[in-house]
Amino acid sequence: MIVVASWLEQSMTRGILTSRYPKEAASDDEVPPTGRPPLPVGGPAPGPRARDSCPVGAISDTEVDQGKCIRCARCVAAGLTFTGPVEAATRSRSDLMRLSDGPAPSPGSPPPLASLGRSLHVFLVDVGSCNACNLEVLALANPYYDAQRLGIFFTNSPRHADVLLVVGVPTPEMVEPLRRAYEALPGPKAVVAVGACPISGGAFAGVRDLAPSLEGIVPVDVFLPGCPPPPVAILDALLKLNGRDRAARGGR
Amino acid sequence: MRRPSWRVESAPAVGGVGGSRALAYVPDDGGFALYNDYAEGVSVLSTAASRPEDEPAVFWRADRDRVRPHTLAPATEIDGYGIFTFPYGPISMGVPESGRFDVRTYGERVLGLVPVGGFKSRRIRDAVVGRPVVDAALLVERMAGNFSAAHVSAFLAAAESAEAKEVPTAEYWVRGLAQELQRIYNHLHLIARVAEAASQNVGLAQTHALAEEVLRVQAEFFGHRWLFGALIPGGPARRLAPADRHGLSERLGHLAEEFERLWLLFLESRTFIDRIQSTCPVARSEAIRWGAVGPTLRASGVAWDDRLRIPVPPYDDLFVPLPQESGGDALARVTVRAEEIRASFLILEQILDRWAAAGTENEPAGTPVAPGRGIGRVEAPSGDLVYDVRVTAGKVDALQLRSPSRANWPVFAAGMRDAVFTDFHFALESFGFAFAETDG
Ligand code: SF4
Ligand code: SF4
Repeated sequence: MIVVASWLEQSMTRGILTSRYPKEAASDDEVPPTGRPPLPVGGPAPGPRARDSCPVGAISDTEVDQGKCIRCARCVAAGLTFTGPVEAATRSRSDLMRLSDGPAPSPGSPPPLASLGRSLHVFLVDVGSCNACNLEVLALANPYYDAQRLGIFFTNSPRHADVLLVVGVPTPEMVEPLRRAYEALPGPKAVVAVGACPISGGAFAGVRDLAPSLEGIVPVDVFLPGCPPPPVAILDALLKLNGRDRAARGGR
Repeated sequence: MRRPSWRVESAPAVGGVGGSRALAYVPDDGGFALYNDYAEGVSVLSTAASRPEDEPAVFWRADRDRVRPHTLAPATEIDGYGIFTFPYGPISMGVPESGRFDVRTYGERVLGLVPVGGFKSRRIRDAVVGRPVVDAALLVERMAGNFSAAHVSAFLAAAESAEAKEVPTAEYWVRGLAQELQRIYNHLHLIARVAEAASQNVGLAQTHALAEEVLRVQAEFFGHRWLFGALIPGGPARRLAPADRHGLSERLGHLAEEFERLWLLFLESRTFIDRIQSTCPVARSEAIRWGAVGPTLRASGVAWDDRLRIPVPPYDDLFVPLPQESGGDALARVTVRAEEIRASFLILEQILDRWAAAGTENEPAGTPVAPGRGIGRVEAPSGDLVYDVRVTAGKVDALQLRSPSRANWPVFAAGMRDAVFTDFHFALESFGFAFAETDG
């Protein structure tokens, strides 16, 4: 608490401080209490009480599907805690069930996309979000997170982008505009699904008319759980694309 | 313990309203309309049938005809040589949300503009039907993530009114704290967005830093950067024990000081003031005619704030300052927001003081008395937010809402008539819209 106050004070009086992430691990201030994936305390199996506590069916008797989790904290009373890695993004959908094994990707997980190069040009597409994900993505451009220092640039048009950041649950009205935006990317290109909404529908899972996930519409290269994921997690998800993330740099 | 009002007993009374008035609410089922009568300072319920044909809300007819959800019809058909309609969106540069603007133009001037929503409709109104109130609240808070506290507060107020359920006083205090914190975040964010769009760099980085800091305070004391889960009855996320509230109070004092320093930077910047002055002006009469709400209404010289006129607890017992401007332009809207940041710090302080003095910590929640229909109205960051909820046996039967964004779209369209297109972005940002809450 004291730490944040002094962070703000310093930034006000001496110019803005910039996040040390990913050179250093994410600080406590950068990770909200619900910013990490919930995991069963003391063992891999959540059990039936936890299963019944979850409003979106993210918990089965044996595992937690982070792609569905909306971080509502209802399972905390049934023995789960938000202790998973803040770097929760995975290259495959099924790895989102295995975050309790630690942040290392599973053996079958695809490697980084060498074709993307060191800098990423990112275009944000909202296909039906609540705005929180949009705002967390936009925060990367502000001087505190300063994504530019990591070679991440936001573009004004999909034509100048190689990465599509998709937020929200795909509504029928947005399916075509999304497809067109994807096709406008010149390539090589990649898609990041930001938040529970595009991965599984999140809080809107099962609502009539809405697409069950982004995967049926465009190919997805990185899955980033959270509702919304904090800015550092979005940075990590982007850096996982070109292999410049904290884990790849040897950080933990 | 308080029992909320605004329970709709039967068909609402038809109220004759004179003077200056603005439509507050027309549900899709045509049930009734709610007027704010600014001359009398009251809200009046009336049936849709009693509405005159020349009702200010032109968009209502488009809705009823189901041409397309939330299409706002243009005020006048503008035609002539070389005039065309330019569709801007739904994915457009500089607008971080999906929505479209049909711009009527012959090149550089905006002759008319129609905001077209519906692209982000997650069908929340339908999706909540049949869900218990606490589960429906998970969807309601995602109506617009950055306005979650206002939406959940209005929704819960409506549901509690519907069931005539008693609410522990501490719940109201928590709602007040959450709403004022989120108001501060949104106003800061809006100032930063307007400054950015107007290429103002002085103070910009500090505004972003302060907004980020508010999100962190929300995370620390309510468990979530966007307050999700924090206001839902029995929600496990927040921790606001007396010691936490003491910590919160200290943090707030610090933030308030930083804001004062920051706002001085803006006021001293001639370029910023000049750039946004006279942009997208909305005269008082236009604001009333098109049904403006919130800071937009107050910037056009109308002294209306739900927290004062039709307060739900805790606001009925607090001193709420009412900042007002008369210019009606982007500068006036930004100034009102800045003044409201100060006001919110004052309200937060009052709530924390009252709570500490009252010491009510563990009142049990009341039990529902009867199924029914209720209305919840709160002053959201961008203005009057209305929920109309029917509840049976603890489950939502029907839900309608009228969001401040929805109310202000025609006002923006009116203000943009004859503007130059280069003003579009910061004119838009000065209203604090969310397509998310318009579409639902
Ligand atoms: S935090 Fe909520 S959504 Fe996530 S697993 Fe726990 S109960 Fe389910
Ligand atoms: S994932 Fe959660 S925070 Fe993100 S858009 Fe969906 S509901 Fe909002």
